[in-house]
Amino acid sequence: MLIIKDLHASVGDKEILKGINLEINAGEVHAIMGPNGSGKSTLASVLAGRDTFTVTSGSMQFKGEDLLPLSPEERAWKGIFLGFQYPIEIPGVSNVNFIKAAVNEHRKRKGLPALSAAEFLKLMREKMAIVEMDSSFSGRGVNVGFSGGEKKRNEIFHMAMLEPDLAILDETDSGLDVDALRIVATGVNQMRTANNATVVITHYQRLLDYIVPDFIHVLYQGRIIKTAGKELALEIEKKGYDWIINAQ
Amino acid sequence: MEENFIYAPSVTSGEFRCRVPLKGARQQFIVNGSVQGGASPFTLEVPEGCLRDEMLQLISVRNADNTAPLSTRQIYRFGKHSSGRILQCFHTFTMDSFETEDRVEIRLEEGAAAEFFILQNEHNKASHRTFYDISLARDASLNMVFVSLHGGRIENNLKVDLCGEHGSCDLGGLYLTDGKQTMINNVELEHYVPECRSNQVFKGILDDEGVARFYGRVKVDRDAQKTEAMQANHNIIISDKARAYSKPQLEIYADDVKCSHGSTLGRLDEEEIFYMRTRGIPEGEARIMQQMAFAWEVLQRISSEELRDRMQSLVEKRLRGEFNNCRNCSKNCC
Ligand SMILES: Nc1ncnc2c1ncn2[C@@H]1O[C@H](COP(=O)(O)OP(=O)(O)OP(=O)(O)O)[C@@H](O)[C@H]1O
Ligand SMILES: [Mg+2]
Repeated sequence: MLIIKDLHASVGDKEILKGINLEINAGEVHAIMGPNGSGKSTLASVLAGRDTFTVTSGSMQFKGEDLLPLSPEERAWKGIFLGFQYPIEIPGVSNVNFIKAAVNEHRKRKGLPALSAAEFLKLMREKMAIVEMDSSFSGRGVNVGFSGGEKKRNEIFHMAMLEPDLAILDETDSGLDVDALRIVATGVNQMRTANNATVVITHYQRLLDYIVPDFIHVLYQGRIIKTAGKELALEIEKKGYDWIINAQ
Repeated sequence: MEENFIYAPSVTSGEFRCRVPLKGARQQFIVNGSVQGGASPFTLEVPEGCLRDEMLQLISVRNADNTAPLSTRQIYRFGKHSSGRILQCFHTFTMDSFETEDRVEIRLEEGAAAEFFILQNEHNKASHRTFYDISLARDASLNMVFVSLHGGRIENNLKVDLCGEHGSCDLGGLYLTDGKQTMINNVELEHYVPECRSNQVFKGILDDEGVARFYGRVKVDRDAQKTEAMQANHNIIISDKARAYSKPQLEIYADDVKCSHGSTLGRLDEEEIFYMRTRGIPEGEARIMQQMAFAWEVLQRISSEELRDRMQSLVEKRLRGEFNNCRNCSKNCC
């Protein structure tokens, strides 16, 4: 589904991604871990098409298509979803109008008509239930005044509405209380099929108890320095990253 | 309601009718400064205790019948404990260069409540200057919202005097410029007595070589303890050549007051836009959405939902550049 080859990206003169290689197939769950500042969010942003970062070399292929020339919205229409580490507040745009516009833009690209008000409402209720979100959140400005945990839940609600093929969830677990973590993780699992894939960026093994990864990658200084199975998370939890970094 | 004009909806200016009258609103035309079917100056007196919830729409137009510079006067008096809502629409119908100067007097007596919604939609060769002289007696409240949609040069000068305790004044303004348009808002607001509140939000979205000026002074007299006064001016610059000049000022002589003022100048927020785009909202739509959100803080002050929706869609059309499709660009209200 996604093939990243020797990807380099920088901000100005500063190179942040220094040769990422990663292959993700349909049906898989990949976890990306790594110390603060190693480039995890940058990788997610570059995949989503953020233009603050310049891809200086390498390639990203998504479902056989080169991602580089595509705008963020085109990538979204192709099925890429980015759950933000720090979801953005958009005062004045209600969550419901926002997600309705987004859903209808996706439908337009699929040649489908816009949803009627009733159809949309039904869909929204259904998807809000997945993350056990209160309907009062729909009328409020996008993420405005939401607590940290509520923002993360809202990201997963957006994901549920858009049904992406590849969801990249950047620290969706941080800021969630124990119950919220279980709810969100269960929601993500419910959405899993043999045709989609999930990338979770996380610092904690806890999330991976729920969303069990097929692979764990450790990102360090812009490179993937280790890839292993789900047991790696437990080891990292116990021993930190030094032993992996030093073994390089 | 006592008026010195005859309500005559059949009297219209040439071809023009407001094609989308608000439900229940009464319409009155003022053509080149003269009230149709009545005397000038236009005077509206709402007698004591009289509550008028329906909107009175005044459609003030200029056309080729008189292209000379024009000065007009309007007088509004709201008696004790009366209320009323006014929608003023300003248009230019022909492409002549118009210069208009209006003097508008608004008096709110004790306990009166009035709302004014003002739509300014004139063409690029029109220059329109208005002087509002406003006073509020004890317990009176005024809500005023300007939507300066289009016009070569629009200048609103407001002088507001809060003369009686517990007076409340809300002023909102949204102005949109493109081309070489200039929009000016000058507000002089004075708290003379204790325990009044005033709240001003003026916001602009400036494109092309548009220029906006905001000058606001809130003066709180020594006796005006427990005053609450807020004033804000925010501008978004869309193009490099647009300009905004902003000077909010507070002059406070009382010591027990809650006052704030602020002014910001910014661009569209690229983080927000990126976020919207990752959800599949195209860049252009994301930009419009953000501008509409910015405008909302002002538009939400329009208490009539029907009018608010109408204004919102006008603003959206304007931001989408759909106004310029029409050569006679001042009548796109429907
Ligand atoms: N816009 C930017 N300008 C300059 N430096 C940046 C920018 N964005 C990211 N960086 C730098 O790139 C490096 C990687 O940042 P990134 O946010 O990708 O780390 P991360 O692995 O997600 O960290 P964390 O675990 O703390 O979320 C950091 O050193 C960061 O300061
Ligand atoms: Mg990060």
